[in-house]
Amino acid sequence: MAQKDEMNSLQRVAAALTYQEPDRVPAAPLVCGASHRVAGITYREWSMGENVEAMVQGHVDSLELIGHDGVVALVDLSVEAADFGQEVIFPEFDTAHPNYDNPMIKNPKEDYKKICKIDPKKSKRMKSVIDMVAGLSKQIGQTHAIVGFVYGSLGTLSMIRGPENFFMDLMEYPDEVMGALEIMDEVLLEYAKAQLEAGAHSVCYDNLYASQSILSKELWEKFESKGMNQICETIKKSGALVSHHNCGNGIYFDMLQKWGCPHAISHAYVADDVDSWEEHKKKWGGQIATIGWMPPGPVAMLGTPEEIEEEAKAEIEIGKPGKGYIFATGCEYPPNAPLAHAKWMVDAAKKYGVY
Amino acid sequence: MATPEKEKELIAALQDAVIHYKVADAKKIAEEAVKAGADAYTMTMEGLAGGMETVSEKFDNHEYFVPETLLCAKALYSALDVLKPHIKTAEGQAKGQVVLGVMQGDVHDLGKNLIKAIFESAGWTVHDLGRDVPIQKFVEEQLRTDSDIVMLSAMMTTSMVGMKKLIPMIKEKNPKVQIMIGGAPISEKTVEEYGADSTADNAPNALREAMEMLEQLRKGMPTG
Repeated sequence: MAQKDEMNSLQRVAAALTYQEPDRVPAAPLVCGASHRVAGITYREWSMGENVEAMVQGHVDSLELIGHDGVVALVDLSVEAADFGQEVIFPEFDTAHPNYDNPMIKNPKEDYKKICKIDPKKSKRMKSVIDMVAGLSKQIGQTHAIVGFVYGSLGTLSMIRGPENFFMDLMEYPDEVMGALEIMDEVLLEYAKAQLEAGAHSVCYDNLYASQSILSKELWEKFESKGMNQICETIKKSGALVSHHNCGNGIYFDMLQKWGCPHAISHAYVADDVDSWEEHKKKWGGQIATIGWMPPGPVAMLGTPEEIEEEAKAEIEIGKPGKGYIFATGCEYPPNAPLAHAKWMVDAAKKYGVY
Repeated sequence: MATPEKEKELIAALQDAVIHYKVADAKKIAEEAVKAGADAYTMTMEGLAGGMETVSEKFDNHEYFVPETLLCAKALYSALDVLKPHIKTAEGQAKGQVVLGVMQGDVHDLGKNLIKAIFESAGWTVHDLGRDVPIQKFVEEQLRTDSDIVMLSAMMTTSMVGMKKLIPMIKEKNPKVQIMIGGAPISEKTVEEYGADSTADNAPNALREAMEMLEQLRKGMPTG
């Protein structure tokens, strides 16, 4: 039987991420792009960020409809790349993405030099995210968690070069890549600061490639750790919470702990040094809060009400004890999934997550 | 005609070039093999595919990751380009044929490209349709090539949903064809829900799965 909430969403999320006891497990199904449907604008309009007012209202109305505890300011992963100059395609009903037939970096010897310092506050898409955070802060900043979002420099640069060539460049043209990453890190630091100034309670750094799915630990550490560290230290020093997102398999929690001062990691799979969620909870649960891990496609999108409840119950049973846990999808809530399914997730947190 | 000793030496050198992603060396050794009159098919299967087998093991054991594997594939292709024209048709008969592509609306083709490299190195014919492929194109290509397996890749739920429509279209035209689906949002549940035949979480596993599928398909064929 679900109990009446005693905390507001912001208090609940803050308690969970700082290992205090919330009234119940917070629910954050990472409803990001899906909010365009509530806003009444196309995915294209949403991604282009030209109607920030509608985006803010879309998020606020989604909160009303679904009842989740916070908003993550992820629009899509091409935001940063677009502002650095990469051509991006904005489909009407699909996620925006770089035009990989026309990568900005074509010649690895020369083109990494094209990455120049830009001011996120004077950019197009990053500016729209900053404005969206400011709008959200004004409307719901006292009651709900607002989490800013930065796609890490490795991920962003891979969108500008094309992932396949980029991964080979890491080994064949390391100096050229490093030069571009250093400039990019400076810009992303300013971007994170601007989101904090706009009212974000936390900023989430997406370090997708810090997992066994993509790079070795050594290669990841060589290229992304220093830049990420500067950004995360800055977030922490500002008094905000540091969160990370990584939906790869076998995540390098030890690296993220070493370089990312994480309060929490939003993740879909367990760390590379454990084999199950139970083991993960035992090893990492007391050090870094978990935001996760319902599979977005197979369960959150395709699941029946019974399947979603069953999965939620099983996850909450593992995640809840010892605190430091937010029930969420392992990655962004599918932008095309029924919104009712996100509400079922929240209902399950209320039913099974009471402390 | 190369001596058996020379062939053995060339095979080992090709394997080494692929395993240690020495792109320029792989090409040079392939040219040397052709010049020495070594059998191109043996060089490809034992040298390149043999090397790629080790790469797959290293990938499985988390010794190699995506960058290393891509560079190994690059080395493989640089040698394969030299050897391919010298493979006699009967010898080079493919183990199986697959149609491969990324679903419409999706441009994430890294996994698809790794699959292509692993399958080609293992002697399969791969009809690669690329990324952002209209669904009708998969149906047409399967019919045109009479491929045994169709492999569909999607990294996003928005592109994954196209599989639900596409799989019955392929099966309707050719009920025997096997369909493997893969990508981040795919699970066993998706396989079941969409009527596919299997999934795999990485390229080496996809090859293992495909070998089994092919064996089953061929067992089911009338003999004699």
